Amino acid sequence: MSARVLHYEDRIVTAFTACSILWAILGMTAGVYAAAELVWPELNLGLPWLTFGRLRTGHTNLVLFGFGVSALIGTSFYSVQRTSHARLFAPRLAWFVFYAWQATIVLGAWSLLAGWNGGKEYAELEWPFDIAIAVAWVAYGVVFFGTIARRTVGPIYISNWFYGSLIIVIAMLHIVNNLELPATLGKSYSLFAGAQDAIVQWWYGHNAVGFLLTGGFLGMLYYFLPKQSEQPIWSYRLSIVAFWAFVYSYIWAGPHHLHYSAIPEWVQSLGVVMSLILLAPSWATMINGVMTVSKAWQKLRTDPALKFIVLSLAFYGLATFEGPMLAIRSVNVMSHFTEWTIGHVHSGALGWNALITFGTFYYLVPKLAGRPLYSVALANLHFWLALAGTMLYIISMWAAGLSQSLLWLSLDDLGEVRYSFVDVMRAMAPYYLLRLVGGLLFLGGTVLMAENLRRTFAGARTVAVAPPVLAAARHAVTQSAERSL
Amino acid sequence: MSSVAGKPALLQFGAVLVDPQAAIADIAARPPSSARSFFGAAVWFGLCPPVFAYVGTRLFGWRLGVETLFLPPQTVLEIAAAYFALLLFGFLSTAFVARWMASTYGADGSLQRCIALVTLVGAPLTIGSVVHLYPNAFVNVIVLVPTLIWSMYLLYRGLPAVLKTDPGRGMLMASSLIAYLLVSWVTLLGITAVLWSRGIGPQVAT
Repeated sequence: MSARVLHYEDRIVTAFTACSILWAILGMTAGVYAAAELVWPELNLGLPWLTFGRLRTGHTNLVLFGFGVSALIGTSFYSVQRTSHARLFAPRLAWFVFYAWQATIVLGAWSLLAGWNGGKEYAELEWPFDIAIAVAWVAYGVVFFGTIARRTVGPIYISNWFYGSLIIVIAMLHIVNNLELPATLGKSYSLFAGAQDAIVQWWYGHNAVGFLLTGGFLGMLYYFLPKQSEQPIWSYRLSIVAFWAFVYSYIWAGPHHLHYSAIPEWVQSLGVVMSLILLAPSWATMINGVMTVSKAWQKLRTDPALKFIVLSLAFYGLATFEGPMLAIRSVNVMSHFTEWTIGHVHSGALGWNALITFGTFYYLVPKLAGRPLYSVALANLHFWLALAGTMLYIISMWAAGLSQSLLWLSLDDLGEVRYSFVDVMRAMAPYYLLRLVGGLLFLGGTVLMAENLRRTFAGARTVAVAPPVLAAARHAVTQSAERSL
Repeated sequence: MSSVAGKPALLQFGAVLVDPQAAIADIAARPPSSARSFFGAAVWFGLCPPVFAYVGTRLFGWRLGVETLFLPPQTVLEIAAAYFALLLFGFLSTAFVARWMASTYGADGSLQRCIALVTLVGAPLTIGSVVHLYPNAFVNVIVLVPTLIWSMYLLYRGLPAVLKTDPGRGMLMASSLIAYLLVSWVTLLGITAVLWSRGIGPQVAT
């Protein structure tokens, strides 16, 4: 047996991490450019490819599926091997997942900028890409669950439950929401119609937030937080209870995106109630994380990665509180369609998803390279840029959203809307400029991280690590051979 | 430090703002009693924003970006009073939350120190609230964002010293307090939205 077979398959983790960082920079750049277009519309240069509608879709797809999902697949491959004490199942299939996913992102982004669009938010990619995603995702599931099946330890660690739920539920959501009739290569029509289409879309949309942006990243948290803090989870039992409560309640919450629409009122009410219940498992996880890290305070002085995780927990708490609150109908009547929603999404996407991923990468890349981080000072600077960028972003959007809402709801003596859409858009321009500054700060920090991690890894090869059981067996064989000599 | 040798630094508004390091050291060494911090500083700090907001709204009206909005004097007074009550509630609840969290982070959770800390952190917001005299929503955001960052700086720097805990644990506790404040702020936004959407609130009229 060659020594290579005994090692974890970590090169694929390095590959996913590198691509995730690349997509983060490109996706955030697209976001910043789109934000600038809201201040200076002429920045689209009269080119259809650069219009806000296409660029914004490119931004969301690149950051969600390029940056976020690449990070999730990479970190799940890293952690599932270590928590299973087993090498990755079917490594060639895993590499197929890597190439298929990256090819889908490249071609998918190109198709969106070219104007192909299925018309469903966060599911804009057209049917050829839907099929490619489904194939790659099922292959991902085979590799992940195959690794768990060959584990050499009894329990399945909590991070794997979250990653597993991500794989199963996203497969279900993606396939059902994208049931469609192709008309041409670049155009298809949903099998669902009217209100049913809307319900299916937001069942998909909200649970993409739930199981990808929350569940998947909680898998990341539950593995990398204890590793970084060198502390066990504060309450393992609480993590299990929170998992099942989370899985049960999230799936019902989608209709809160459709308040005051044509869907039945009881469906809306169900969405509100389940959204409010969601606060309990969400905060149980936050408390579990905070209490875990509170025992590792000595490491905060030296470990920049831990700072990112601490802050991400605070934003996780904020976003998971604000979400249920915005689901309440009488709040939603003011917040819906305003910038408040955009601010809420980014308090989660920047403050929670991006920060926990950055913290994880600052831990992971030195481990993969087998050398310390190139610059702790740069990582600390990144921390403050990310915090300032996120705060500027969400505060400007809170202020913009409230102003927008008040102006839209303002009626004149005849009961007509007092201000036109253009009036209100014009009034928003200063807030958009402030948001642009916040986005630039956040992007600048991400570029610093990319350079820091590039220098950390430059010239290195991914360190070969053996599973403990196999390493012990190899050690025993060596000892036995030495004794026989 | 010499400037704060006599009267406690917390009760000298300028001392907190001009030389925060010395003020933090002074507050940590000899924190004023709860009543003295509260009635000697916090209440006055909390009174400034509603007064500025009242004067600004009465004189210049609010500007959300399109046109100036004036409110009836009685309404402005009620809003200013509610603003003051909310600030006091926010102040006291934050002090009590800090007291509740203290044992987790190995900090001194005496009410005296917690009230002193929150008073210290609130001082920049009092200065920043001068911008309420010109009630343009965007200008207020532009001024209050750096003010908030200043307050956050005082929280991170001041907490370990005033509550007598390790800087690492202090950083964790400060982050937890920020999470509490962010959630409180969002709750306030939510309550405001519920009231407005039910027709309870100022009538927007020119």
